[in-house]
Amino acid sequence: MIDLEKIEALSALKLKGEEKEKIIKDLEEIIEYFEILKEVDTEGLEPLIYTKGIALSLREDKVTESLDIKYIERNRKLFGNNLFRVKRIIGE
Amino acid sequence: MEIGDLTIKDIASRVKRNEISANEVAKFYIEQIHMKDPLINAFLYVDEDGVIKRAKELDNLKNKKGLLFGVPIAIKDNMNVKGLQATAGSKILRGYIAPYDATVVQKIKDEGGIIIGKTNLDEFAMGSSTENSAFFPTRNPLNVEYVPGGSSGGSASAVSAGLSKAGLGSDTGGSVRQPAAFCGVVGMKPTYGRVSRYGLIAFGSSLDVIGPLTKTVEDSAVMLNVIAGFDAKDETTAKVEKEDFTDSLGKEIRGLKVGVIKEIADFNVQSEIMQSLKVSYSKLEQLGAEIIEVSLPHLKYALPTYYIVAPSEASANLARFDGVRYGLEGEGENIKEFYEDSRTKGFGSEVKRRILIGTFALSAGYYDAYYVKAAKVRRAIEGDFESAFSKVSSIILPTTPTTPFKFGEKKSPLDMYMSDIFTIPVSLAGLPAISVPIGKDNKGFRVGIQLIAKWFDEATLLRVAYALENY
Repeated sequence: MIDLEKIEALSALKLKGEEKEKIIKDLEEIIEYFEILKEVDTEGLEPLIYTKGIALSLREDKVTESLDIKYIERNRKLFGNNLFRVKRIIGE
Repeated sequence: MEIGDLTIKDIASRVKRNEISANEVAKFYIEQIHMKDPLINAFLYVDEDGVIKRAKELDNLKNKKGLLFGVPIAIKDNMNVKGLQATAGSKILRGYIAPYDATVVQKIKDEGGIIIGKTNLDEFAMGSSTENSAFFPTRNPLNVEYVPGGSSGGSASAVSAGLSKAGLGSDTGGSVRQPAAFCGVVGMKPTYGRVSRYGLIAFGSSLDVIGPLTKTVEDSAVMLNVIAGFDAKDETTAKVEKEDFTDSLGKEIRGLKVGVIKEIADFNVQSEIMQSLKVSYSKLEQLGAEIIEVSLPHLKYALPTYYIVAPSEASANLARFDGVRYGLEGEGENIKEFYEDSRTKGFGSEVKRRILIGTFALSAGYYDAYYVKAAKVRRAIEGDFESAFSKVSSIILPTTPTTPFKFGEKKSPLDMYMSDIFTIPVSLAGLPAISVPIGKDNKGFRVGIQLIAKWFDEATLLRVAYALENY
């Protein structure tokens, strides 16, 4: 039922071997379990995205302190002007 | 009295009055960890040098103040503590050092608390047993052949075994309350929006709530006093007035209406848990509360709803783990292969499963049938609670359908998911809830009884929980 190749690509995952077989089986079982929701009459109900009492508020647009660059460096070596190095994206 | 038997209030006031030193308290807990944690494995990392340094600093302060002065607190390893690791129990974040403090951690430090270490969890808080930790499982201190629950199993077992005075967990579908029940401690999930999520590694952003694990309801109230409040860094925190949650403790509950759920009969619940539930009803009645039956007609739809909503949010949240800025770096000829390799090597099976489910539920052609449908059922579940709370001020039900299970006992993901059937509906509605140990099963485990209150009414929640705990 589900196009695993497409979902894998959208998820940026590449499953292999036994893990792949097990996950396909699990997903089918889990998605089948979702069928029970069809029983619920949801006509006229608004989807609930955030629960009660939450009024999304925006903070004032002003400059605040940012992270200490030395902590960022500890997690990944920086190259050049405080930039992360990635694989070539343009020009392939 | 031993240090381990003191409450948070006791420790803080004694340290402030120089009756004991923060250093003595810290050393006591580090010694407990040395003795017991090799068997339990509650901690992923203990900051021994940092703890002793911090304790000495506190002892040297002239002006000693703070609700947690000298009190050791264990932090689930999906929350940032500046300068310490934050792995979220995942290989993809092995070696990651947090560049800043989560707001809750900052608040603990501001009140004189000592961060004793980072505790184990199911990878990215996805699981109910800590078996999904990429590093090792944590054992239940009440019987090490059994799981401690999850995903905050490390913090729950640390508090249960006396390795820390209190702990923080995060609760998306039951991840504080369920391990609290399994380890025989108190676990609270505050109202969604009561506590800042800034610095918590996100799982399901509309569900995630940070909550305390403690030995007593009073300790839980003190912890909530510390961590609650609006935070400009988390735009979903609510602007509600500051209150002292210990004020309601000890107030009588005569005349309060407590709801029992009609639909509980439709679920397969272990007999000793039903027994403890009935004992709780009668205790509450004897204290003068009125027990009223209420109905939550959509209760049985909560689990499938959650397993669409939470993975959908997770699939978006976990997109940031790509191997570029931090964490495990994969290999590949081009950027696409590099991303895929980093993520495929870095994430464990349960995390992959949930990312795939969420991506599926959000994908073109399935979005309305799965994600939108689930979000609408979620509205119906909220409506059930709203009408129940027009009749009562709190609701009582079990925290879990069974007491702890053994390692490897839950074979399929769905089997594992079932252990959260009573905590998940509450999370979907964003309500505050607490698990309190009441009664025992025949293996000696405590039974967790869950109380739920109205949105932002933690005062009533704690008042009823305290009455039940101290009956």
